[in-house]
Amino acid sequence: MKANAGTLTNFEVLDLLNSRGASNDTTRVIAPISTSEYKVYDYLMETPACTQTQEIITNFSDQCKYFKLAKAEILNIINIRPSSTVNLAPILEEPSERGIDKKAKEGILKLVEALLPPPPIVEARGENEEEETEEGEQS
Amino acid sequence: MFCLSELEDTVRVPPSDLNLPLEVAIKKALQKLFLDKVLSIGLCVSIYGIKSIEGGFVLPGDGAATYKVVFRIVVFRPFVGEVIAAKFKESDSNGLRLTLGFFEDVYVPAPLIPTPNRCEPDPYNRNQMRWVWKYGDDEFIIDDSCQQIKFRVENISYPPVPTERAEDAKPFAPMVVTGTIDDDGLGPVSWWEACAPISDDED
Repeated sequence: MKANAGTLTNFEVLDLLNSRGASNDTTRVIAPISTSEYKVYDYLMETPACTQTQEIITNFSDQCKYFKLAKAEILNIINIRPSSTVNLAPILEEPSERGIDKKAKEGILKLVEALLPPPPIVEARGENEEEETEEGEQS
Repeated sequence: MFCLSELEDTVRVPPSDLNLPLEVAIKKALQKLFLDKVLSIGLCVSIYGIKSIEGGFVLPGDGAATYKVVFRIVVFRPFVGEVIAAKFKESDSNGLRLTLGFFEDVYVPAPLIPTPNRCEPDPYNRNQMRWVWKYGDDEFIIDDSCQQIKFRVENISYPPVPTERAEDAKPFAPMVVTGTIDDDGLGPVSWWEACAPISDDED
């Protein structure tokens, strides 16, 4: 029994569900996907994973090597797609002790901006007036 | 937050499924056994694939065929330090409860909510308390108008199944993720969108 045979990015799980037909079946009865798996699918479709592809992720991981980030941090960045320093802050562990200065953080954010597509705009729920125009809204 | 785990288990395929192709029947039995269940390694989300199947013996007195299967599953098991986006579910005097849709037992206890804060009875919902963060002159309310709340995983625990429970106790949660929202970039996403790029306090 191998508890950890490899970590998966959110994209890879979404891709697995899509390959079994999650996105095609609007009735949700025909595709061989259970209700609990659809809940995971619904969650992932609201994260940056739904605009990513395998090439994007591999490319990004390769380019990240320059910044000497931990694997867990790269995974986290891919899943969350931070768009500003303040969003990147909770992901990096002890950046100042590892020599990751402000310039490096800006470099990481530029790489994110360039390589990872922006996340979907999550629809406002109910009577919430604040429609979030995320950085996904490129004018 | 997801990883692959390889397991070996003995699977019983009921006689009604024996007309199906073997892999389909075994996958069906595996799904029934593992899907949406919490194991010691986390919450099982999906069957990734079957690596090998052995056996197929029919034990005496049983119409079903028993197989020894090696397979891989996708498990939800966040690592400590991971930042995850969730939605608000409910709050009480102990803290917040957040949900991911497929997993609803994420708790942010009161000490991990940014201070200064206060807890007040929710004017919209009589049974709930709501938490308010006071930053400078502004007050930020945490309730279900927050679109997305980001938290960082502090701990994952697997409480043992209780033998006795009070009548009105919450349904037992076999896997509990404890998170914090007390850091830059954490908490409701709307808190940070209003701010211009903040200079890092850590530097």
